[in-house]
Amino acid sequence: MSFDAMMRLTEVMLALVILQTCVEHYWMGRDRVLFAARALACVWLLVGWQSGGAVGALWITHLILLHRFGGPYNGGADKMTMLITTCLGAAHLFPAWQELAMAYLAVQLVLSYFVSGYVKLVNPEWRSGQALVDVFRFSAYPVSERLRGWADQPRLLWLMSWSVIGFEVIFPLTLLHPFALLGGMVVAGTFHLANAFLFGLNRFFWIWLCAYPSLIWFQDRIFG
Amino acid sequence: MLRRTIDLLLPALFPSWRFFKQVGPSPRVEYRVLTGGCESEWRESHPIPENVGLKRMVRRMFWNPARNTQLYMVSLSERLVSGLVEHSAAELNRLIAEKIGEQDGELQFRLMFMAPEGDQIVGTVVYESEPVALQELRV
Repeated sequence: MSFDAMMRLTEVMLALVILQTCVEHYWMGRDRVLFAARALACVWLLVGWQSGGAVGALWITHLILLHRFGGPYNGGADKMTMLITTCLGAAHLFPAWQELAMAYLAVQLVLSYFVSGYVKLVNPEWRSGQALVDVFRFSAYPVSERLRGWADQPRLLWLMSWSVIGFEVIFPLTLLHPFALLGGMVVAGTFHLANAFLFGLNRFFWIWLCAYPSLIWFQDRIFG
Repeated sequence: MLRRTIDLLLPALFPSWRFFKQVGPSPRVEYRVLTGGCESEWRESHPIPENVGLKRMVRRMFWNPARNTQLYMVSLSERLVSGLVEHSAAELNRLIAEKIGEQDGELQFRLMFMAPEGDQIVGTVVYESEPVALQELRV
């Protein structure tokens, strides 16, 4: 994938994802002016004219939202949104450093899997499957009470724990070959989809997908 | 203001990515309404439903405002006990007031953190808010 194609694809995907969140907030009747402004910036970005300005508008409104909500509204999903917006903004603002800016995004994406897997790997509760049992048993994350019944399936959750740890830790190796990366992204996408279904983390699914074009370009740029 | 902005930006620009490093005590938000000296029972605010079917899960991929509000309330609860009291309490009051709709009286909420104790899951109240007039919150 060429650098320009990757940039444009990332911009379009980011605009659509942020637009979806704006519609939700606007519908809930909260901070409507701010979300309307943000939605307009998304439309501007989709049009593609002077897209650096649209990215800048999204960056500023995101910063205002961080103040407004006292931090991220939706945890890691908001952090990834800000990271992608910042990297796109840096690429527009400093053309001489644009590859470095988007490579930073790709590296952070790889780290998001590897670090997350590593901290689980060194935690005995994750290795035994107990952590995932606890997630279902009493954490605030399952989307329904019925799902708490999964806590009574420790063998299944042990298998799920090791599947997650395994895929997250070996994810950096998928950079070695385009097909391996494709496979890694399919597995990672399935993992995010499961998190969206079981824990209601739909924003993570969409925003992580937005960073995938940078990874495809990065793999080709470094190992292609 | 600048210090706060930096504090908010840094975790996004240099994320730690330590998702679910540990599964610690988990918050539930409960509320009651005080009317003319009478207190209602404590009730869970924004509880999760009994069941969510596959179709609803798929729909929630595209439209999920209620669940995202629940997740925001979890973040607010954790921030409140870690020291960001004023903003978090104000937001929780606002969200609960929105949910309970037209009702008179004063709203009070508490944070219950759930954790395992042997075979049981036990809740510990770690914060109880000052009552606030519902009318004031709606304004």
